[in-house]
Amino acid sequence: MLEPRIRNLLLEARDYARKQGLNAEFSFHRERSSLIRLGNSAIALSTAEELSRLDVSVQEGRRVGSWTLTADISSFDQLKEALNRAAENCRNSLAKDYEPIFGVVEEPVDDTAGFDPALETLSPVTKSELCARVIRHLKPRGSYDFSGSWSTGSTEMYYLTTANDHEAYRKLTDGRLVLVLKDQVQKWELAVEKTQKRAGEFSAEEIIAEFETLLPIYEQNPGYKTEIGNQRVLFGPQAIAQLVSLCVWGGFFGRAYEEGRAFTSRNRFGDKIFSEMVTLTDDPSNPDVFGMPFDFNGKRRRPFLLVKNGIFTNVTYDSQTAAKYGKQPTGHDLNNWDLVFGTGTGPADLKSAMALAGNALYIPHLHYVHLPDPTRGIFTGSSRFNALLIRDGRPVAPLFSSRITDSIPNVFNNVVAVAARSVAQNESSTYERRTPEAQSVPAWLLCDQVRISDVADSF
Amino acid sequence: MNTSSTVEKTVRTQLKRMLEAGCSFADVRFYDEDRTERLVLYDGNLEVNYQRWEKGIGVRVLKNGAIGFAATADLNAIPECFDRALANAEAAAQLLGFPKDMGSAEPVSGKYQPRFQQDPFAVPLPEKLNLLKRVDEKLRDNTVEHRMVSAHFQKRRIFYYNSEGTEIERWVMNTFAGMTVMARDRDGKAQRRSYELDSDGTGSRGFEWLANPQAFEVHTERIKRELSEIVAAEALPPGRRDVILLPGQGHLQVHETIGHPLELDRILGYELSFAGGSHVKPEMIGTLRYGSEKLNAKVMVVENSPGTFGYDDEGTPQHEYYLIKNGILVNVLCCRLDLAEANAKAGRVVVSQSGASARAAGFYKTPIDRMTNVCIEWGSDGTLEDIIRATENGVILDMPVSWSIGSNREHFHFGCEIAWEVRDGRITRVFKNPTYQGHTLEFYNSLDMVGDRSTWRLFQVANCGKGEPNQIMEVGHGVPVMRFKNVLTGEGR
Repeated sequence: MLEPRIRNLLLEARDYARKQGLNAEFSFHRERSSLIRLGNSAIALSTAEELSRLDVSVQEGRRVGSWTLTADISSFDQLKEALNRAAENCRNSLAKDYEPIFGVVEEPVDDTAGFDPALETLSPVTKSELCARVIRHLKPRGSYDFSGSWSTGSTEMYYLTTANDHEAYRKLTDGRLVLVLKDQVQKWELAVEKTQKRAGEFSAEEIIAEFETLLPIYEQNPGYKTEIGNQRVLFGPQAIAQLVSLCVWGGFFGRAYEEGRAFTSRNRFGDKIFSEMVTLTDDPSNPDVFGMPFDFNGKRRRPFLLVKNGIFTNVTYDSQTAAKYGKQPTGHDLNNWDLVFGTGTGPADLKSAMALAGNALYIPHLHYVHLPDPTRGIFTGSSRFNALLIRDGRPVAPLFSSRITDSIPNVFNNVVAVAARSVAQNESSTYERRTPEAQSVPAWLLCDQVRISDVADSF
Repeated sequence: MNTSSTVEKTVRTQLKRMLEAGCSFADVRFYDEDRTERLVLYDGNLEVNYQRWEKGIGVRVLKNGAIGFAATADLNAIPECFDRALANAEAAAQLLGFPKDMGSAEPVSGKYQPRFQQDPFAVPLPEKLNLLKRVDEKLRDNTVEHRMVSAHFQKRRIFYYNSEGTEIERWVMNTFAGMTVMARDRDGKAQRRSYELDSDGTGSRGFEWLANPQAFEVHTERIKRELSEIVAAEALPPGRRDVILLPGQGHLQVHETIGHPLELDRILGYELSFAGGSHVKPEMIGTLRYGSEKLNAKVMVVENSPGTFGYDDEGTPQHEYYLIKNGILVNVLCCRLDLAEANAKAGRVVVSQSGASARAAGFYKTPIDRMTNVCIEWGSDGTLEDIIRATENGVILDMPVSWSIGSNREHFHFGCEIAWEVRDGRITRVFKNPTYQGHTLEFYNSLDMVGDRSTWRLFQVANCGKGEPNQIMEVGHGVPVMRFKNVLTGEGR
């Protein structure tokens, strides 16, 4: 449960709001973040941030106002002022043409299962030592340079409203390491990425072994410039997660669906929209993901099926969209999802997947993906780390930067095989506040007829 | 300085303590007040009514060639924050590469406040909403399915102190606003046409800018008309043709393929794991042909731009300089911290002084190399009409819909809201779904016409993302109309 000093202040603020006759929601966020950033095989920056934020929202009929504070929560007077500011903001706002749904904590939540004190306080020295071991081992092999970052920390989220006495609390730790090995002469880049929930989940030796799996192919072969046109592509975890994010963004948001802006807008639930090998769920109970137990309208989050064996099953409604379109909220008033791309029956390991693929491009990372046309699900993005040419079932050459411009429905309708093994892919956003997010995706996804739209002359 | 005397006194004491602890440099940013307001009307409903207030300090220390940073919102814990920054620097020094060096700088004592007449935060909310509502009503039309009007205001007071004795007080004041209309075409695709509050670079940054009907409201009828033309249009057929970029699209082209690749931290490889690198290497500065002789890219100090802030977050005063002169790369966007490394790697002095590009998005973010006002100088090829008259087979493109750039910024793919076909010197029709793609150097080498002052507009970017931990920053781009020859446009499938 939240530190008693702050919890008591927030409960006091809620009682005060009730006495004032206000419908108020309080959402508290506290993070302890630590990051090392590498560049040129050294630590370029080491940071530590301890931040507390409070969002206060007040609703009066069809009017809503909010106030957000980033400062140490230290007194009731501070919270009273935040509440008064939100109330004033509400009074002066415009009435909506629909009835907004006020937040209610459906059931009490006190979730600290994902918290590891050792990861919360993982020292920059420990991080530096692990990175140094990797660099010392691999750097002498070539004109190699290392960059990357390693972010770790804890996040606390606490939500309550004047609607009832329930409280929703969550505390968890998360970490993400990305190490990039760059050949300074040839310019190619390899990356190893690790997602962690607890300290000590990986070692320098594991990272070295992953680099060494790919290094010989890159060291011994020149870059390959592939052709523009339709090709067989073996996607890796980061690329799959990018495609899933685009798919959800472009096809499964209730607002876009209702307004005809989603590529699913012309479909009805029950339509077959993807290959039967595609099942997509927002599932906080999956062990790979960080498992957000409640949303910021107080809704308890449970597994939510979007696509089952290629059949369109549902779209998500945040409370605002639900209110506007007369639907029920689905637990998606949040920033961090728990998306799961269901595994298949293909072999677990990448070597066997390449053998299965035969002649293909291996594109494990997609860089800077965007949706030029969400209505048709058209996306674009370029290959980046670890991309390879596969010939006769074996990796034979590193791939020059290649752009894919295709539609989500086309890619997900041309699935040839899906790995039987899942991996956790960290998709955390640190744009504003620490929001741990991971996807559970198959270790690989083999697709036919993927459109390569542009190829560069270099990596 | 008019700040909390307790904070000021503590900070000075701690800076001295850091020097005594063996640091070669330390600095502090104290955000006394950081306010943000966002208002979004969607189909007439106030869907976002958000106000944020922040206060805290960020500390940076340099010890043994390594940088440590720490931040806190707890102003009773400033000494502890310095201790964390120091510990971080000491840990980073355990794995040291090219030692960081701030160089030397004379102490600066300064104050900066952008020009404005009406503080947006002093304007009552109903007055702001009335303005947005009036614009929203003007956008309402049978041909429009959805409409959005937004405004975004920023106000900050930042005190900067460093161990060299520099002390600066500066204010940030920005007003952003936009309007968008949307409708589906006969293929069922959602189309849109939008306008973002821009300027000719002069004027001020207060609420009066947005309230001026000629700056904002006047665009409602035009974007409605153009949306109806897009909805009725054919898709742009794929093919090679000349591309005329209006500033609405040109500013993003410049942002992504000149601004980002010329950030020195990207050039030195410090962004590889996230945002990516650059096709530019330090030794190329001064010699690389980046584009045709028509290309002149410059860091400007433009009065009315979110990229103008007086002093950067290392205390360096802003100044103007060329990035690309007559097509040759001559300088980059940089702060003090990486100059020595760039020059060492180039084997000669390629960057002689800070470009005042050290910027942080909040007290809890560390300064990094950011764009400020990366602009293209206007040219001598006349007005937009002159450029159209000189074009046999081309399209005029405006306003981004999607953007995707290779990790080293060498190849790109952009989608736009609207295309006007140009045949034999005149506009013939509108196309929908325009896209174009190319390779950065090849593309800028195909620049053959640059419009005059009448075509130059300053666009604001409120949400440039970069860095780990990630930061959102405000920048400005002044761009004229530009024509590029023989560009790959449209989608084959």
